[in-house]
Amino acid sequence: MVKVADKIDQAIEELLSDNRPWVTIVWDDPVNLMTYVTYVLMELFGYSREKAHELMMQVHTQGKAIVSTGSREEMEHDVARLHEYGLWATLQKGDQAI
Amino acid sequence: MSLEDSDHIAGFYRHGENAFVVQLSDSEREVLLNLVEQILELLGERADKHVDDPLAVMVGITSHDSPPEDEVLMRLLPNAYADQVDASEFRRYTESTLRTKKYAHSMSLRISIKSAIDGIVEVDHDGANDWLGAMNDIRLALGVRLNVEQNSHDELELLAPDDPLRGVYAVYSWLGWLQGSLIEALMDEAI
Repeated sequence: MVKVADKIDQAIEELLSDNRPWVTIVWDDPVNLMTYVTYVLMELFGYSREKAHELMMQVHTQGKAIVSTGSREEMEHDVARLHEYGLWATLQKGDQAI
Repeated sequence: MSLEDSDHIAGFYRHGENAFVVQLSDSEREVLLNLVEQILELLGERADKHVDDPLAVMVGITSHDSPPEDEVLMRLLPNAYADQVDASEFRRYTESTLRTKKYAHSMSLRISIKSAIDGIVEVDHDGANDWLGAMNDIRLALGVRLNVEQNSHDELELLAPDDPLRGVYAVYSWLGWLQGSLIEALMDEAI
């Protein structure tokens, strides 16, 4: 139970002290089709074709792109949905070097 | 690909408001079924066989918090965090849900192939998304097999005729083409 209490304290502390957003990053991989990445970003995030295409191109040319920002919980949700469709995604605090 | 085949290689096309149709040959259906069943088996193997806590089962907590050792499974169920502690924690609470969703995509593809009449598969928008997810999982699995991280497409194109990977690459390419045709059909709708 101590462990749970510690975790709760830690979570509260994070909530109070930390309003820096978290980010979801999609990483380049050689299997996923470019059109597929664009389509998944449109479908999951409701992005326009232009925006989704731009993000996909960033993944393709720079190896990664931030596709969404928000709370840690929201980003965990986004990463889970991207994994469901086979995109290679991770989340991290927005101020960490990527 | 011979010229006689050219009428046949249409891929997916849109039919009306919310239907996407493809005609698959017997051998194409057989290949797809075989591959999707391998994915289902692989995902099933990862399922918990001895979880004692019914509440944990109910809310989707698994005993897995370490990444899969199998390279293909690792690609299908990747880490969500670079940090190993965070990744393990996340996996413990989410992997079983992810596995269930992927399983559902593959089952949906399997059912629509099994119920195809004269080789014609017709899916709605949700079914199309299931197909995309399932085809992508197969391609990810074949990609690990082909080591596409290291081998360029040019190198894979030049595999010797007797190389066992040549057939794998042919299926991988065909699936990419089929997936691409479905995306194109779906994007037409999105304009």
